[in-house]
Amino acid sequence: MSNDRQARALLGIEPPRFRLRDTVRESSLSMWRHPGRSLLTAVGTVLGAAAFVATLGISSTMGQLVSESFDVRRATEVRVVATDADGPAGWQSPERLRALRDLNGVTAAGRRLVVGETPVRRTMGGEPESVKILGADGGALAAMEPRVVSGRLYDDFHERRASPVALLPLPLAERLDITRTGVAVFIGDRAYTVIGIFDDVARRPEALLSVVIPTSLATEMVGEGGEGEQDVLIATVPGAAQLIGRQAPLALWPEEPSAVRSIAPPDPRTLRREVEGNVTRSSLWVSLIALIIGGISIANAAVAGIGARVPEIGLRRAIGGRPAHIFLQLLSETTVLGAVGGLVGVMLGACVTSLTALFNGWTPVLDWRAALLAAAGSAACGLLAGLWPAARAMRITPVAALQR
Amino acid sequence: MTDPVLSLTGVSRTYNDGHPVMALRPTDLGLAQGDHVTISGPSGAGKSTLLNILGLLDAPTEGSYRINGVETRTLGEATRGAVRGQIFGFVFQAFHLLAGRSALENVELGMLYGPHSPRRRRQLARTALERMRLGHRAHADPRQLSGGEKQRVAVARAIACEPRVLFCDEPTGNLDSENTAGVLDLLDELHRDGLTVVVVTHDHEIAARGRRRLRVVDGVVSAW
Repeated sequence: MSNDRQARALLGIEPPRFRLRDTVRESSLSMWRHPGRSLLTAVGTVLGAAAFVATLGISSTMGQLVSESFDVRRATEVRVVATDADGPAGWQSPERLRALRDLNGVTAAGRRLVVGETPVRRTMGGEPESVKILGADGGALAAMEPRVVSGRLYDDFHERRASPVALLPLPLAERLDITRTGVAVFIGDRAYTVIGIFDDVARRPEALLSVVIPTSLATEMVGEGGEGEQDVLIATVPGAAQLIGRQAPLALWPEEPSAVRSIAPPDPRTLRREVEGNVTRSSLWVSLIALIIGGISIANAAVAGIGARVPEIGLRRAIGGRPAHIFLQLLSETTVLGAVGGLVGVMLGACVTSLTALFNGWTPVLDWRAALLAAAGSAACGLLAGLWPAARAMRITPVAALQR
Repeated sequence: MTDPVLSLTGVSRTYNDGHPVMALRPTDLGLAQGDHVTISGPSGAGKSTLLNILGLLDAPTEGSYRINGVETRTLGEATRGAVRGQIFGFVFQAFHLLAGRSALENVELGMLYGPHSPRRRRQLARTALERMRLGHRAHADPRQLSGGEKQRVAVARAIACEPRVLFCDEPTGNLDSENTAGVLDLLDELHRDGLTVVVVTHDHEIAARGRRRLRVVDGVVSAW
């Protein structure tokens, strides 16, 4: 208004100033006036931000864990089974397996055959233990990697010659009172020499509950009436499981690859994304709800506080503050409150994540983007919460300052 | 008498809450530079209404109010605010100091929306506090100050920006007689230094200290 400019020139005054620095300073001053109350008001945003950072932190920490464990063990294991009950005849023949072992990335591969529960005795007349019998050739044995505590593994020689040798898991050996190798066990009604005792396997842990014998002997046993479940077990170099999983059916049965199918572990990265995706979605909702509650509590406190601040606001108007000054100041107060609440929450969430990781012996994984998002979200929440009280405070007239 | 600095011509104020009440009847009044004016009268008679209009805290319903010859009716809210903040100073009965800030910061607040830089505001605030003989209390919280000290901080806040007119609304209403005398002496001193002082009071003795004494009864302003 040129009229106003003229008037200001005549009176020798300048239009009221707006300085961001002053506004922020005034906001922090009024916030520090009641630090406890301010923090209580911001508790919703504190919790929202903390929940967000902590759930994201813990889920990514665990996601990291999942992929680590999968990288070293399961991610190097592929099984191939027949699509139909028996599959095409000869799909596990030595020539086919040789083709499979030639694939780049395969470290060991072999045939396995599971025979149902069979009585195993220490002596012909002894007490029987009913266990599953697992037939495995040298390649499958190498893929399972049993950890031998006594004796040795059998090899292709025993496999070709159908030598009656057996590998016993340690708990079974103890139950049968076998403490050394070289002694005999009776499987069904046939005697086998215990060639080794193992206490762990790298792949297919069900082997820990079975007696392992060469497949040539297991086939005979199945022929005697047991039902056989067959597969080909492949150990791969780390990271190759997915690829070998796709190539194995082609190598084993190129005539009709769909006659057999491979079971490869999920890609660790996909898995991690899945785990994180699920947790992230639910944590987002929880955090969002907490933030909304936080915003409402800030807005509520701000509206309630206006009554007590009428003289202050009136004074500000009396000394030249425009309604816009009042509006921006109250808005910046709730925004600062939300932001501070958010920062406190981020620190809290980071502590929870770190402590959880510490107690479980994990490596904590914290995403700075999540922290930034949580703090920004809390600030935005405070900003929104301030709109209504700020608009109300704007209507207070300077005459209010004169109220006694 | 010199040309009036503040001049009211036919100014009246009617409040309209359901049924209209004329709190200030049409008034012609001129205040000169360097005046020391007291406005007295019973409560509810309209003296606060007159002060609100003179201080640009409220606008008249009818009539014209000129400051240094400038008509205020047509001014925008920003300019009215600038006049209040830079030409006028206000002292209130309830002090209206903000707790949690030092006396110095309270004095600085008076210039928050004015043209001065933060550094300059601090300088002016310090000078004003010293003028009120409160330099030694600059960092005290208002809650630690006596009533008289509080009101002196409030006066310092009002005069820090070097205004031309100081409006005081019952400045000693919350003070005991000793502090009342101290604050009134300071106001006299400010007047002697050239400031135009307008004091609203219901106390006859305080009203008598004015060089120019006005009385408001039932919305009618008269000299006595």
